[in-house]
Amino acid sequence: MTLPAHLLESIASAAVREGLADAVYTHLRTPIGTLLVVQGDEGVVRVGFPEEPEDALLAQVAGRLGPRIVASDRELAATRDVIAAYFEGESDTLGLPVDLSLVRSDFRRTALETLRSEVHAGDIVTYGALAARIGHPKAARAVGSACATNPVPIVVPCHRVVPGSGGVGSYGGGPARKRELLAHEGARVPA
Amino acid sequence: MGVSKLVLPPFWSLVEAHGAELLVHARRIAGDADGEDVLQDALLRALRAYPRLRHADHLRAWLYRVTTTTALDHHRARRREVLTDAPPEPVTEPEHYDDSFEVLIGDLPQAAQAALRLRFVEDLDYDCIAHRLGTSTVAARQRVSTAIRTLRTQGIAA
Repeated sequence: MTLPAHLLESIASAAVREGLADAVYTHLRTPIGTLLVVQGDEGVVRVGFPEEPEDALLAQVAGRLGPRIVASDRELAATRDVIAAYFEGESDTLGLPVDLSLVRSDFRRTALETLRSEVHAGDIVTYGALAARIGHPKAARAVGSACATNPVPIVVPCHRVVPGSGGVGSYGGGPARKRELLAHEGARVPA
Repeated sequence: MGVSKLVLPPFWSLVEAHGAELLVHARRIAGDADGEDVLQDALLRALRAYPRLRHADHLRAWLYRVTTTTALDHHRARRREVLTDAPPEPVTEPEHYDDSFEVLIGDLPQAAQAALRLRFVEDLDYDCIAHRLGTSTVAARQRVSTAIRTLRTQGIAA
């Protein structure tokens, strides 16, 4: 048994209005499954696939931003609209503010920031090429780790990074979703 | 040895786990019509205090205490509106709600205080409360509910 939806929304909105929420989350239904989107004051901090245990995911955010985490579709309406528009092919997600504070090293953060700002929908890049772009041409494997631990998939498009040896490679949400996202963006999906 | 960092669960997981029973509790004290307002107010108070909690034990009981205090504040304010023209007292926001709970129950007989503490501080079920008080389960339940009723009546008298 849970509280009525109108009461939950009212409590969450009041919490945000009074500056009492460290982060807000929402569930968003998309063609690749229901995503869990968590946003703090600075921007989207975590995007989770349906297979990820929600408790652990929110606890991870709580450990970084604080435990005052509330759920609200209404408070995240703007973010929901941007992600929904992406899946409808109307826009990219570049308009969303992103908070990379869950990323553990400066190297990984640089890799993800470069990926987000330079590799746009419809393009793909190899791990090695992305490593070269950030000035570490031999660090393909480290770039792979950065992508594998990307806390905000889709918003930071790690699905656009593929192995130089062919195929789509691995993906946090599984290779099938990676193919689906690349196809959706009109990229040439590696065999 | 490092100091281990206190890990509190994401607040909303508490709301989802205990919200419905807290609403029942709020209605029981403040009345059906005010239950939702009381619960919202109580959960906002709880959020304000949450990062300052010193431990993560008995969070459900802590939410019960915050809800009880909030409900009685509302109840008193409401009665005052009806009965007098006196302006309501400013809402007090003690740093630590455990203190305000003790103040709240301070005027009750010792036996009633003990029953409320076992229920809302130690978070025991009625079987355990009965065991601790040396009474039957039914009597333990009665003692807690009588104590809550007394608090309500005091609210009216205050």
